[in-house]
Amino acid sequence: MQKQHLLFCLLFSLAPLCLWSQTTCKELVKGRVWDEADAPLSNAFVSVDGVATVSQPDGTFSVEVTCAKFHQLVVRFLGYRAVSEKVSADRSLDIHLQPDQQELDEVVIETVAEKTETAQNFSVVNEKILEANAGKTLGETLKDVPGVNAIQAGPGIFKPVIHGVHSQRVLILNHGIRQEGQQWGAEHAPEIDPFIASNIVVVKDASAIKYGTDALGGVIIVNPPNLPRINKLGGAFQTIAQSNGRMGTVSGMLEGGLKNLAGFGWRLQGTPKRAGDFHAPTYQLTNTGLSETDFSVATGYQTEKVKLEAFFSHFQTELGILRGAAVGNINDLLVATEREPPQGTLPFSHSIGEPRQDVRHNLFKLSAELKSGTTFWRMNYGMQHNARQEFDQRIGGLSKRPVIDLVLTTHTLDVERENISQSNTLHTTFGASMMAQSNNNIPGTQRIPFIPNYDNFSGGIYGIIKKEWVKLMLNAGLRYDYRSYSVAGFDFKNELYTSSLLFQNVSATLGGNYSFRTGKSFSSSVSSAWRPPHVAELYSLGTHQSAAAIEYGLLLNEQTNEVIDIKNSNFKNEQALKWVSTYRVKNRKLLWEATGYVNYIFNYIYLRPTGVTQTVRGVYPYFRYTQTDASFFGADLMMEWRPSPHMMVSPKVSLLKATDEKNNDFLVFIPANRYETVFRWEAFERMKLKGFYAEARILFTDRQHRAPRLLSVRQINEANEAGTDLFANDKRNFDFMDAPAAYWLVNLSTGFSVRSQKVKYDFRLSADNLFNTAYRNYTNRLRYFADELGSNFSILLKCTF
Amino acid sequence: MNKTILKSFASITMIAAVLLLAGCSKEDPKKEDTPELITKATLVFTPSDGSAAVTVTATDPDNQGAQPIRVDGPINLVKNKTYVMTISLINGLAQPTDPAYDISEEVEEEGDEHQFYFSWTNDVFASPTGNGNIDNPNDAMNYTGGANSKDTNGRNLGLTTTWTTANPTGTINSNFRVLLKHQPGLKTNTSDANTGETDFDMTFVLNVQ
Repeated sequence: MQKQHLLFCLLFSLAPLCLWSQTTCKELVKGRVWDEADAPLSNAFVSVDGVATVSQPDGTFSVEVTCAKFHQLVVRFLGYRAVSEKVSADRSLDIHLQPDQQELDEVVIETVAEKTETAQNFSVVNEKILEANAGKTLGETLKDVPGVNAIQAGPGIFKPVIHGVHSQRVLILNHGIRQEGQQWGAEHAPEIDPFIASNIVVVKDASAIKYGTDALGGVIIVNPPNLPRINKLGGAFQTIAQSNGRMGTVSGMLEGGLKNLAGFGWRLQGTPKRAGDFHAPTYQLTNTGLSETDFSVATGYQTEKVKLEAFFSHFQTELGILRGAAVGNINDLLVATEREPPQGTLPFSHSIGEPRQDVRHNLFKLSAELKSGTTFWRMNYGMQHNARQEFDQRIGGLSKRPVIDLVLTTHTLDVERENISQSNTLHTTFGASMMAQSNNNIPGTQRIPFIPNYDNFSGGIYGIIKKEWVKLMLNAGLRYDYRSYSVAGFDFKNELYTSSLLFQNVSATLGGNYSFRTGKSFSSSVSSAWRPPHVAELYSLGTHQSAAAIEYGLLLNEQTNEVIDIKNSNFKNEQALKWVSTYRVKNRKLLWEATGYVNYIFNYIYLRPTGVTQTVRGVYPYFRYTQTDASFFGADLMMEWRPSPHMMVSPKVSLLKATDEKNNDFLVFIPANRYETVFRWEAFERMKLKGFYAEARILFTDRQHRAPRLLSVRQINEANEAGTDLFANDKRNFDFMDAPAAYWLVNLSTGFSVRSQKVKYDFRLSADNLFNTAYRNYTNRLRYFADELGSNFSILLKCTF
Repeated sequence: MNKTILKSFASITMIAAVLLLAGCSKEDPKKEDTPELITKATLVFTPSDGSAAVTVTATDPDNQGAQPIRVDGPINLVKNKTYVMTISLINGLAQPTDPAYDISEEVEEEGDEHQFYFSWTNDVFASPTGNGNIDNPNDAMNYTGGANSKDTNGRNLGLTTTWTTANPTGTINSNFRVLLKHQPGLKTNTSDANTGETDFDMTFVLNVQ
């Protein structure tokens, strides 16, 4: 203690000396302070390099200081979060203060700014939204974002869709590491516990060049909260109970530091989650339960110049798939689609039987950041271990053996150097990334593997430049990537094949943002991105969970189904050209945002129905991975209107039109247009009772009018018996069932917080699908078999200390 | 100071790079036994009078491949005769000594969750009469003739069945459909041809003259 005082005094007393020795060049640091509603804030405390003042009634301030490249600015106002940042004197500053609701919120703003430096079109799922969706899966939570939807396989499996594209075309970054699971399956959800995030950023332009290939549709960035830097124990515990599925979720987090080591922090976090059979409005959805256990450990050390972090997370889930969705050939499918309630419907149970999935995902991460002057060096190393088992109803006592049993091991390494110019207006970033991955089928499934074993080695280098003027910001980026595969698998005759493949290409992005004086801004970006094909798209063979269809990869010969060399195929890399523009208006009462986009994907890989084959199990339609050109046109509109300080009305619209340009056809599984309005009432804060709100959310989802042609099982059967080939001359897509009708949903939610000196308690009550509406969702793969969930009431209790 | 930091940074990166490069390499894939694959189905109609049996075989050369099934000709039965029909399902990808070779054996072992259903056109049989039990499980059928006609619960299984041909003048042609359903946990006294998943579904041409 004494020592510290001494040091402090010493520094303090030396400071004037330093100033003295410099020339007496002086400059003005000017700016304006705003509150959360963009009104000027007067009497705010402002200090620049230790020289203090207060803001004027119009919010402006100016401080005269000694010339320097950077000045340390601090702005404080009671009830608002303090702002402390490095600024330069060459332009007028706009300081927006945010109300100090929670300590944890502080992190959000920082990390968001940091992680999206090159993107113009992004949405943030902040802590508030995450809290409102607590208990839901990652994919379901993200449906709150305009332009984002999900492909579903029952109540527990949600796969995010950004602007109509999904799976391999959406990149997910978890703690800065590219999430690598078995993403090829439409029924494979991302293996991430949303409770580990403090915010999630959805980048909707393809400009996220530093994150690598595959971001044709966008990037989902899961940001953790920053680690504590001081020795203060904190944490949060929450419990969510839900009526539908009798689901219970508990999530806990503890964090702190070390007594004798300032800058050191740790965090432990865990989430167990259990659910039994969910229910549709009029019947049980047998075998849709889930059991999930996740935990993570993080530790880090941080000083002015160095930031080191180690992180480990474990995700484990067992998911049941609707019993009535287990079908063999298309006649089974016909029967299943015509049965309601679905076959095998039983009273409520917590047990999970076949068909089911068992997925484990471990992530270990090491990261380092060094600061040397205005240059940052960053390094991220990630190791991921993903194990996936899928079980089906099988004969010969095989049901206990998985049909698919895969282990995917991935190592990633990213190194980056970022330089910020002296004036803080020019950022240049260079980086390189590497990935080594191996995929192995665990022997013993007693079935020819659906995808082969493979090694994947990838590398990339990139450069990004960003220049800021007073009102204008421009950025540009260029990236080169390389990927090699070495594949070994078994073909339909159960004979071994091997192959080596190599893909390489360049991505580029150009974007800008212009801010008008009146709180309006316009941003636009054009990007060209590509992705190497996934091994599953090249070599898939067979059927997988409840598809009632056989899938063949791109490199299987169309006549003989033998594996062919890529040189003898007409395969071309998938390449996207995406243009996104957003116009944003923000003033005291109104915030609105309109985004328009066009994404043209050349050589778009998709499953095209190609024919009908007969096996001893009966008739199956078969689908081949094929390439075409596809376009995605759309708009997202969002508004927040506050007619009074209590009221908020927020409509959101997501529109999308997707086209198969080569065949002049529609694409399958494109989310229908969605319209939503939230009415929210918030009470003024009282002494202890804070943040009381009541909210109604009204959602309208249109029918997908642009669905592929209908070809019912009966039509397929009749054609098959008559010996006609429905697919020889008609290359259009088809669906076994019509797109479901449009539907309305009403959700209600209310909550409040109580704050004592050290502990904050949150309560929330909510009702989803209040009127128990029976409906089906076009992008749910189980829509052929059963209705969506009926009403669901949930209660959340959370305490933060 | 900066140099040491940069050095340590570089060394951490190197360690990570080594981990990355040494980390993984795929294993040689192992050939799976595929006990569920049925590549060959044989129906044997053995007449009760001791004359030569009638055998028909359906072969699926590429299983999940796009090629259709080949059947070695129609089933030609003699009129007014009683036959015991047995079904054998073979996985040609397994060795004959392998338990995975004979799928019908597995069906028999799991008789309480399997059942064969049949249908035919043009009244080719005097017994059972009608058109089979695919449309209605209570329609006439003869689940008799062998130990594997019934399961351990005494419910119909149908690996062996008994048939008596009709007595037409001339020849009748019929489409004879054989359907095997897997009904784990679903097979009851009222389960039918729409219950469970399909393990086998083939239609043969059957002539009686």
